[in-house]
Amino acid sequence: MLKIYQRLWQVTWAEQWQYRANTLMYLLYWLVSPVVYLSVWTTIARSQGSVSGLTANDFVIYYMTLLIIDQLTSDITIYNFASKVQDGTLSNDLIRPIHPMLTTTLVNNMAFKVLTLLALLPVWGVLWFLFQPDFTGVTWQGILLVIPAVVLGFLINFLLNAALTCVAFWTTRIWALHEFFMALGTLFSGQFVPLTLMPPLIQSIARFLPFQLTKYFLIELILGRLSPSDIVQGYLMGVFWLVVSLLLFRWAWRNGVKKFSAVGA
Amino acid sequence: MKNTLCLIKVFLQVNLQMSLAYRADTVINLLLNLMWLGWELLSLSIIFSNTKTLGGWGVGELITLLGVFRLVNTLMAALLWPATEKFNASVRDGSMDYTLLQPANSLFLVTFARITVWRIWDLVLAVILVVAGTFMSGAGTSPLSLLYFVVLTLSGVLIIYSLWVVLIALTFWFTKFDNNVTILAALLDAGRYPSTVYPAWLRIIVTFVVPIALATTVPVQALRGELGGQQVLIFLAVSAASLLVASQVWKYGIRQYSGASS
Repeated sequence: MLKIYQRLWQVTWAEQWQYRANTLMYLLYWLVSPVVYLSVWTTIARSQGSVSGLTANDFVIYYMTLLIIDQLTSDITIYNFASKVQDGTLSNDLIRPIHPMLTTTLVNNMAFKVLTLLALLPVWGVLWFLFQPDFTGVTWQGILLVIPAVVLGFLINFLLNAALTCVAFWTTRIWALHEFFMALGTLFSGQFVPLTLMPPLIQSIARFLPFQLTKYFLIELILGRLSPSDIVQGYLMGVFWLVVSLLLFRWAWRNGVKKFSAVGA
Repeated sequence: MKNTLCLIKVFLQVNLQMSLAYRADTVINLLLNLMWLGWELLSLSIIFSNTKTLGGWGVGELITLLGVFRLVNTLMAALLWPATEKFNASVRDGSMDYTLLQPANSLFLVTFARITVWRIWDLVLAVILVVAGTFMSGAGTSPLSLLYFVVLTLSGVLIIYSLWVVLIALTFWFTKFDNNVTILAALLDAGRYPSTVYPAWLRIIVTFVVPIALATTVPVQALRGELGGQQVLIFLAVSAASLLVASQVWKYGIRQYSGASS
């Protein structure tokens, strides 16, 4: 099994490397909105000293950490897979004796991640130079604690998106659904602003949803702003959502693939 | 002129028919659009529940800015992005031949070939936002600054359009250049907020390199009464010059085009 993953890695890495110029362009999209939000909130924090206790530097390190965390937990399954269902080329994958989602698509995700991170690092260095962040609050414990949480966050995101992509077996309107899902993420993940600044209602809903497990929880964990009970709660929530998303995915895949009629292939 | 209007009418009709074939999709798109508008307003309310002004701008002014931003965004989403997609494909597969053979300005044909008709609704929303925002920011809006605002919005849009023309014209030289407009699309988001809150390097980029701010921040600055007549004239001159440059680049580009299939 390990050998299969190894070989798939070689193939998908070569594939992604071929599109490295595209990847760089992709990164540009990813960069702009965090930098814009960073500027907006640091302007506000500077003009009045702090926003609900958060200083300008707090915002700078929040969004700079977000840039990396976002890459680590991001998922491209739908871009990779939905078209295969719609044009019928999934047939080629289905005759192989391995699960198309849990092998090729997963490994492809990893290859994309490594490539974007490689491209992000120099950009991040430049931003460091431009914004002069003060990361002294970050400890080794925080970094060690966050690693399993990042893996958990990525797996949840991957499985939820995979389940969502399976909807393509039933309908062609998958992109509208994807956009709706993205909007929920914008609202509840903490990508616009640290969740503590959101209206109380949104905060209390966000606590029980999976979106903050891919961003807000991880960022706060690294920056050492969470109490031990917050951390335990976050991890429990992560395990809960991992199970839920795994069940969702299994159900959607099993029933969806039966609907697959290999249109056009 | 009459000819041009007639052509636009035909383009609209054809595109309306195409979108009527996908009625459900149109409804879903409208709903998604409203959802994003809701989010944009919510995000402004979150910002202003934490502060009174953003870099000196009040909530009304940011709503006006959101309106202008959506205007620019609609121009992109309704005209330029669909046109880019079709144009890139046509240079690669040679179907640009048919566009060039038609007895009308080729740039005009490329620009208006595909129109996402339901986006007209978005223009209405944008205008509502501009009007509501202007009323909210209250006193101090003179008829003259209103005039400046309209003129600067138009000239800003023309400058962005010229940049778009230059970017897609590059495809004539490189043939396979699908990312030609990415830089424009990616930086568009920076138009949501006044460029004065950005650090200097980003402000320079969105003002001079990819001048999103010229069509978003600058017109609202005029509405706030920050710009004099002389500055408005300069912006007008810049937009005229950029249109001129763009049309020249387009002309040279077409000379490079050699057809793909024939």
